[in-house]
Amino acid sequence: MSEVASRNLKVSEVESEVASRNLKVSEVELGKNKPTVFVGMSGGVDSSVSAVLLKEQGYNVVGVYMKNWSEDLPGMKCPWAEDLADAKRVAVKLGIDFLVFDFQQEYKNKVVDYMLTEFKKGNTPNPDIMCNQEIKFKLFYDIAREKGADYIATGHYARVNRDKSELLRAVDENKDQTYFLYRISNEAIAHTIFPVGEMLKADVKKYAAERGLDNAYKKESMGVCFVGEVGMKDFLKRYVEANPGEIFDIDTGEKVGVHEGAIFYTIGQRKGLGLGGGLPYYVVKKDIKKNIVYVSKNLNNQNLWTRELKLKDVLLRGAILKMPRSTLSETEKNNASATAPTMKVMVRLRHRAPLIPATLTIDNLGDTDTSSVETKIDNLGGLDTSDIRASVKFDEEVKAPAVGQSVVFYDGEVCLGGGIIDA
Amino acid sequence: MIYLDHAAATPVIPKARQAMEDYFSEQFFNPSSPYLPAKHVRDNYEFAKNTIAHTIGAKGVDIIITAGATESINLAFTAVLSAVRKKTVVAWQNGINNAEKVLKMPNMTEILILSTEHASVRAVAQHYATEVGAKLIEVNVDKNGLIDLKDFQNKLSSRTVFVSVSLANNELGTIQPLAEIAEIIRKERERRLKDVLDARGSAGHIKDSARDVKNNAGNTRPLPLIFHSDASQALNLIDISVARLGVDLLTINSAKIGGPKGVGALYVSHEVELRPVIYGGGQELGLRSGTENVPGVIGFAAAAEEAKSHVMGNRKKYQKYVEILKSELLKCKLEPVFLGNPKHQLANFCPVSFPGIDAERIIYLLEEKQVYLSTGAACSANKGTVSRVLKAIKLTDAEISGSLRISLGMLNTEENVREAGKLIVEAVEKEILRCRK
Repeated sequence: MSEVASRNLKVSEVESEVASRNLKVSEVELGKNKPTVFVGMSGGVDSSVSAVLLKEQGYNVVGVYMKNWSEDLPGMKCPWAEDLADAKRVAVKLGIDFLVFDFQQEYKNKVVDYMLTEFKKGNTPNPDIMCNQEIKFKLFYDIAREKGADYIATGHYARVNRDKSELLRAVDENKDQTYFLYRISNEAIAHTIFPVGEMLKADVKKYAAERGLDNAYKKESMGVCFVGEVGMKDFLKRYVEANPGEIFDIDTGEKVGVHEGAIFYTIGQRKGLGLGGGLPYYVVKKDIKKNIVYVSKNLNNQNLWTRELKLKDVLLRGAILKMPRSTLSETEKNNASATAPTMKVMVRLRHRAPLIPATLTIDNLGDTDTSSVETKIDNLGGLDTSDIRASVKFDEEVKAPAVGQSVVFYDGEVCLGGGIIDA
Repeated sequence: MIYLDHAAATPVIPKARQAMEDYFSEQFFNPSSPYLPAKHVRDNYEFAKNTIAHTIGAKGVDIIITAGATESINLAFTAVLSAVRKKTVVAWQNGINNAEKVLKMPNMTEILILSTEHASVRAVAQHYATEVGAKLIEVNVDKNGLIDLKDFQNKLSSRTVFVSVSLANNELGTIQPLAEIAEIIRKERERRLKDVLDARGSAGHIKDSARDVKNNAGNTRPLPLIFHSDASQALNLIDISVARLGVDLLTINSAKIGGPKGVGALYVSHEVELRPVIYGGGQELGLRSGTENVPGVIGFAAAAEEAKSHVMGNRKKYQKYVEILKSELLKCKLEPVFLGNPKHQLANFCPVSFPGIDAERIIYLLEEKQVYLSTGAACSANKGTVSRVLKAIKLTDAEISGSLRISLGMLNTEENVREAGKLIVEAVEKEILRCRK
């Protein structure tokens, strides 16, 4: 026994060494010449493969699981425990360090509360976009950099032109996730790697299988992470008091049913109205004040279609500078200022929706300094552009997305920014 | 594959599987049906129940079949409800006659559990404590996880209605001295009886009710005090006899001893009054309705019988295996800390910590080599909760982080245990290297 003991390390020695490991990661810099990348690992296939790719490319990789807010209630699956285990399993297989960043509080404040507030207003917010803006590419980015990361990486399908700090669409057009990423800062973009952005999803899966990451490729997360599989409406019901009201057919003026609260319904929604029989009804209008939902059997109902969308909280990426601009023609002016620049862009109205041509007019309604828009575009940097408004006009009518959703602008493969649809 | 997690689950032994086989598609009848083949099924079911009961020194009528240990524990704790009805009587006799108020009156009664109890005991205890306004009190353990009997004695009060202490802990394998606990409980019961007799006094009237309610002085019947133990882990390693252990309620489980999952039983002594958790057709004396799980019980019986008959042999065999394993683990550059005291530990348990190591990483490294074991540390898969057991025995954070739960069993041999020891050491040393880098 004494012989064995003498060969053993002093426990305290290793203990302190290992314990300090869990607190700070400055040691990762020991791998000097190799740049350090903190990769957000969710346990899914895309981020798992991202970590493998980075490792193979010679980076010094640190896996990070971001623990976002979730609620552990009876009848609701706690989504994170398994995901965390899956992520860690991959990290261990790769032999990389693995950390857990607890963002529950921030996530609750910045994403969940934002979402609930918007829904209560009758809007349809996009929490994924907010999560990327506030959590993954702000909080995670800041902390990773603080801990010595040269870059962060995520499993998003997108690309970066690092020289120009440009956000580019993914190679796999079908998976492109720039719709969710348009609001992230220039600084974060300049220090972000999207390892799977150059790959097709099918190849990512194949790659995972070849490397025995089978636990990762079995599942694919769908929908908003904290909502899980219960669905948005059921999730909301736990936080927002149901307020029953009436459903009217907008074409006939007839009362056709009752609903559980106008805020639970989204324009264009067809399913889940509980109105049986005959042709399906579509939600075409909501009156949040009166708590009335209007439906129509006519898919061509004018409320469902539009030629123009007004945007607020517009965020313009640097690439928009090189877009050919013109000012509005006399007839187009309407209520826009005379100097409002317009440009021809492609836009995406929903994730994975086809790109459609549109005319973008950067406007600044509500801002007394009407001449400043041009200047603002030219001085992009801080991206604090929350008072910039814009409108997009389409050549043909498009199916109207709900208020609160985003419209994202593109020039070819370059993401130019986007804005949130205003009422 | 080298399986080192028999405390979590065991494979169904061939004897049990063979015994069950007939009862799926041939002897499928509902034991409650009136025709002869169904009666045969009932007979065989009752026979199997008797077999199970015999392994703990009880009769078939003394046990209620459930869908596993968790359900048995839930059923056991319903005894608290009847105790509380008596609490109402206590209060009423002390001049408080609003039943609602009494029920919600906090701390009139107390429930005692060990600080190292499994979630299935803890959560149920918490539920019933909240439900009836009882106070849930935890009894301390020493550094080996053994009950601190002095602390128990101190915390056992005249208000205690229910005590739950596992026969063997599921993380450390620590075997608790149930008979000694039962003796303390017996004395308290005796004291309560005497109090009642004193209170009646020579004139036969209730003494001054101003006397402390705590003493139940005004009560004509003593407050019940019920002793439950969860013995899920132990049937194949301890010769269990309910009489010797002195328990009123005992939970046993098929899934940990080579029987099928989803079957368990609760031994209930005659004095204990339970209430059903599941209502319906009145099976199992009305305490557990639902068509009987005939194949499950048949399999449970076969496994229980087998376990019982090999208790001594198992103990010797696993002791030897644990020795082999320990000698391998001691070769590690990082000195392992063995948890618990083998004198008071299930023979198949070898909980160990490599201080400072992240045990979860060891699990994932070993799973690639098809070596499967558990961790007592905060594990992502268990929602990151640090083991209460390891905290209760006052391990350092580094020790908790590096702790592995190893439980040997029927799938082990001298060779695979030795091999596992080598692979564990290899994984730990690999981790040390990674951290050094």
